[in-house]
Amino acid sequence: MSNATVANLMRGHIETLAAQGKRTDGRGTNEFRGVSIETGLISTAEGSSRVSLGDTTVMCGVKLLVGTPYPDSPGRGSMTTTAELACLASEQFEPGPPREPAIELARVVDRGIRESQMINFEDLCIKHGEKVWVVFIDMHILDHGGNLFDCCTLAGAAALSNAKIPNVQHGIADKDVDLPISCWPISCTFAKLGEAIVLDPNHEEETVMNARLTVAHDENGNLRAMQKGYNGAFTGDEIKAAVKTARTADKVLRKALKEAAG
Amino acid sequence: MAGGNSDIEFIKKGKRLDGRKPDELREVRIEAGVLNRADGSCYLEWGNNKVYAGVFGPIECHPRHKQQQDRAIVQARYTMAPFSVNDRKRPGYDRRSSEISYITSQALERVVMVELFPRAAIRVDMQVVEAHAGTRCAALTAASVALADAGIPMRDIIPSCAAGKVSDTVVLDLNKEEDNYGQADLPLAIVPSTGEVVLLQLDGHLTPDEFEQAFDLAYKGCMDLYDIQRAALANRYGGSA
Amino acid sequence: MTKSSSKSARGRSVLLPGDKLADDLKAGSGTFRRDGEAHAAVLGFPNDSSGYVNVHPVAGRYSPRVGDKVIAVCVETGPSLWRMNIGAFQNSMLHHSETDWKVDFGDTASFIGIGDAVLAEVYMVDGSGSHQVTLKKDDCRKLYAGTIVYIPPPRVSRVIGKQGSMIKLLRERTNCRIQVGQNGLVWVDGEPDQIARAQKAIETISREATSSGLTEKIEKLLE
Repeated sequence: MSNATVANLMRGHIETLAAQGKRTDGRGTNEFRGVSIETGLISTAEGSSRVSLGDTTVMCGVKLLVGTPYPDSPGRGSMTTTAELACLASEQFEPGPPREPAIELARVVDRGIRESQMINFEDLCIKHGEKVWVVFIDMHILDHGGNLFDCCTLAGAAALSNAKIPNVQHGIADKDVDLPISCWPISCTFAKLGEAIVLDPNHEEETVMNARLTVAHDENGNLRAMQKGYNGAFTGDEIKAAVKTARTADKVLRKALKEAAG
Repeated sequence: MAGGNSDIEFIKKGKRLDGRKPDELREVRIEAGVLNRADGSCYLEWGNNKVYAGVFGPIECHPRHKQQQDRAIVQARYTMAPFSVNDRKRPGYDRRSSEISYITSQALERVVMVELFPRAAIRVDMQVVEAHAGTRCAALTAASVALADAGIPMRDIIPSCAAGKVSDTVVLDLNKEEDNYGQADLPLAIVPSTGEVVLLQLDGHLTPDEFEQAFDLAYKGCMDLYDIQRAALANRYGGSA
Repeated sequence: MTKSSSKSARGRSVLLPGDKLADDLKAGSGTFRRDGEAHAAVLGFPNDSSGYVNVHPVAGRYSPRVGDKVIAVCVETGPSLWRMNIGAFQNSMLHHSETDWKVDFGDTASFIGIGDAVLAEVYMVDGSGSHQVTLKKDDCRKLYAGTIVYIPPPRVSRVIGKQGSMIKLLRERTNCRIQVGQNGLVWVDGEPDQIARAQKAIETISREATSSGLTEKIEKLLE
């Protein structure tokens, strides 16, 4: 779409500021925008959240349905993650089946949650080899103000933290119980603006970024998922520095998530 | 309609199962201008229904073969989130969403001054994030508010509301159980200033008399919604409508 | 539109699409007629001038008018013209003959490339919504430095202010050169830090355009 053409002047100005460690919205290089997390808004979902990170808003619903286990893991539940880049979130999002960006987004969030073992899939086995809980994490992007990766990971984690296993509805047991959560994955996404690297790019910065790096940590500071995106590149040193930064910068999100989860 | 399940007694002592009178709406709350990126937006809660609507436009019309040389087209799109219903809905577009999107676009083209923007598109996206019957009316009601919020020139704001029949009684605004097991559903949308009907569907079984009764009831429901729509828009700019 | 809309808007309640207007006035911009009566076509505030009632929209995209100064960004180059985004739903055309340059056939991109910005004037709008811009008017030129800030076009009058008071304040306090396009694109040039301050102020004005005491607030912000 023609409106996607970025003014060269804006690109130059953002890069000039970034080279001096400054940003158009006045933030520091490694500072997140304000975050707000609400949970339990959707009664048709087993768990739900609405998370805003700056101008970005994502709604996430978690559904648990009874399904059959995969043949190679008969004693384990499973999980599916989708992301819907709803047309109302951005003029650039077009109607139709999910394209590559939505699929990449869903898969990166999925890896952060799956690899951190936030959900213990053994606990989701109902009858070995026959019946397990399948966890569906569906993320709905409502407002695209930049950095969907971190906002979606937060929304996914917040919705899971609030999810109940619907035993009663499915006749499995006589009481619904909390979905057992073992740890909290948090992702930190960096954008390369010219030669500078900033945390949590806003919408304007994303239009001029040449490379993107997402780093997901668990709460012990171990890495659980990473993803490099866009056609620019990072040096090895830049990546190592970003990993270090992420380990401390994610504290603010971790705190917000814990508070929301109660 | 599931054909009507006469085992359920939907009205006892003049009250419905959720405590409403036959001609009473569920509670409706509308907020305009809730999204940052969209040109205009709206969040609507109607009972437990929750809907977002966002508008971009006028913008270049894609695909090009849909362009109209003498006017804009309204591209409305209705989507239900996978988590919006008890049994998870498969993500994506289905035949029901297509139909609702199509008739909603046509209803809105009656009031949007499309002749001002030849070859353009006005994109209206409606996202149902929680569904408990009546979401097409809720979505259209929210879409009209979002269009006005986007500064799109329009002749009026369209409200939409349904009436139906349960336990042989005509009632306003069916809830989930009434919709699932009731006898008829009649969604309606009107242009309040002219009284024109811009959307009408019927699903179920009504006698001619019941139809007239249901139509009048839905029309009255639309007028009540119109007031709430107007208040939401005026409220955003610190005035009262 | 830039002169008095915000002043007359205050103290009056907002009009909604379909609202009937005073019947002794003729229908102006932002209105339509039905059964011989004028009605508001957009969400906005009324403004009467010389027998006409206009409704100034509070939201909406840019709709080009001849004589408007706009900031345009190049999205496509052709052999003898450029297609420029001015925020309208169709791109505007800038023909090489509407510049002071001597442009050889096929050499347009060496004058204005994709993403380059110009200050231009709308000189033609036709009934089908097509429009063209020119650089052959006062002040029109290619913009070589600074940045572009985007605001909704209905907020333009607030950024300029009464008799240009707000933009004067912005220029004085930031030492920046500022041009406000009627299309909501604002060009700001100066020291990078000062550009950032000006951008913040412009975005604040735009966001809080309908609130009172805005000038004092911006003065404080730029102290």
